[in-house]
Amino acid sequence: MKSFKIFYVLLASILGIIFILPMLWMFSNSFKTDVEVMSPVFHLFPQEFTMDNFHTIFVGGAVEVPIFRWIFNSFFVGFAATLLVIVVDAMAAYALAKLDIPLKRTLFALFIGSLMVPGIISFLPQYLNFSNFNLINTYYVLILPYSGGALGVFLLIQFFQSFPNEIIEAARIDGANKWQVFISVLMPSSVSIVTTLAIFTFMSVFNDYVWPFFTVTDLQMRTLTAGVAVMATGSFVQSYGKLMALATLSTIPTLIIFIIGQRQFIQSITATGVKQ
Amino acid sequence: MPATTSSHWKSKLTSSLFIVPYLIAFIAFTLIPIIYGFIISLKEYNLLDPVHPFVGLDNYKKIFTDGTQENDLFFIGMKATLKFVVFSVPFLVVIGLGFALLLNALPAKLRSLFRSIYFIPYAVSATVMAVIWKRMFDVTGGFLNLLMAKVGIREFDPIPWLMDTPFVWFSLVVATLWWTIGFNMIIFVNALNGVPEDLYEAAKIDGANGWDRLKSITLPFIRPVLIFVLITSTIASYNVFAQPNLISNAGDETKVLLMGILQTAYTAREIGSASAMAILMGLSIMIVSIIQFKITNQKE
Repeated sequence: MKSFKIFYVLLASILGIIFILPMLWMFSNSFKTDVEVMSPVFHLFPQEFTMDNFHTIFVGGAVEVPIFRWIFNSFFVGFAATLLVIVVDAMAAYALAKLDIPLKRTLFALFIGSLMVPGIISFLPQYLNFSNFNLINTYYVLILPYSGGALGVFLLIQFFQSFPNEIIEAARIDGANKWQVFISVLMPSSVSIVTTLAIFTFMSVFNDYVWPFFTVTDLQMRTLTAGVAVMATGSFVQSYGKLMALATLSTIPTLIIFIIGQRQFIQSITATGVKQ
Repeated sequence: MPATTSSHWKSKLTSSLFIVPYLIAFIAFTLIPIIYGFIISLKEYNLLDPVHPFVGLDNYKKIFTDGTQENDLFFIGMKATLKFVVFSVPFLVVIGLGFALLLNALPAKLRSLFRSIYFIPYAVSATVMAVIWKRMFDVTGGFLNLLMAKVGIREFDPIPWLMDTPFVWFSLVVATLWWTIGFNMIIFVNALNGVPEDLYEAAKIDGANGWDRLKSITLPFIRPVLIFVLITSTIASYNVFAQPNLISNAGDETKVLLMGILQTAYTAREIGSASAMAILMGLSIMIVSIIQFKITNQKE
């Protein structure tokens, strides 16, 4: 039995090293000179350590990489979209789970039904709509579309429905109106599920690639994820060292958020996985 | 009586206010785009042309007419997409489950450490993932070829991982597994934790070995989660774009449907045809998911 455990630990360690290596390779290549990056000899760690790649990105020169603007854009868009999603989804879920509203079943069916329509169908019309309103290359096009998704509403409804009606009724008898019940009774008891939705939304907005790539063409308005794609297929296509430095830089923010929120994130996947 | 009716009516109105913000967002950014998408697919909609005449099912006919560009892009794309689905989904499901079983077999102290390690790539964005793996599989200076030369395999003849079949499919699947397997793994870990311990105890007493226990207790018990992972992985693989678009150099072989649709829309500027292609793609995703669900959810 003991030898079995050792075998499993060994297997897990080998797989772990394989999982770490690609990121280590990115990190290491970002400190290599262009010559060494293309060298036909294997060096896991740089032979000739250089900061030139990062220097080019931060200071610029021939190639413009507005890295700080991109970081700002990604965080701004991520936070704004998350806040928007949380507010509208929570209010809607409260109405659908706990309040008496007309057409409740119809609306619920419509929202759930929309989950089954693949995203590609609304991609181009959505693009045309924003284009017709002259909102391409703005923060609106990067933020607003995420608020129409039904997944968050669905997730919150499931949680709100299990919230005891007695507590809501007690608060109503004490004179609280619907808004007060929502803000000071329901929301404080839903911190964990709301955080879950927030982390999910932030990560998916922050890392989204196709939508921001096609709706924003102004270099200054790019997000980090789209910016990396622009450089990977453009100025840095022949300069792997600089591309790796850019990739390393753009991974650090998500990695920090990920490490901080990991426990919550894992619990949230657990919750959604079981529900479905 | 009239008083209660009126207060009831007022109460409904104040309740409805809570759903208004989301309803506006839903209509503007989900419902209208879906309906508008169907309408555009029935139009000749060239971005450079201010007039968009209604042409009925012409865009769809073009897709099914031999020799048109739409026909080429759609069927090349469909073939590449289905290949990717067939090559990646079994691994996404089986290896995801394998990792979960491995985690559960580890001493409790090491579990969360390895769970984090396997899950970290999930935090990387699509483009960074692509940048990393293009470099891993590159012909000159790529990690894999350098490593193989280092240990003495194929020193003078590096493998064109990103250009030739079957290597290019191997590369795309490996990159995808690395990037996403942590998600499936965690869903499986949770499902495995839900299997009652006494079932295993009873099986052990009956002399069942590990494989027997997996086959007759674990798998039947986690079946709903298995179906969930199968269907979500299929949908995700169907929508593959970043990996072939940014990593592969294999031309038509890996030119997936999303690449064809976006090319039709943004390079050829034919939004009408592109929308028709998108709707057919969407329908085929739905059909595949329904078939999968019907087959896997059948009572034995």
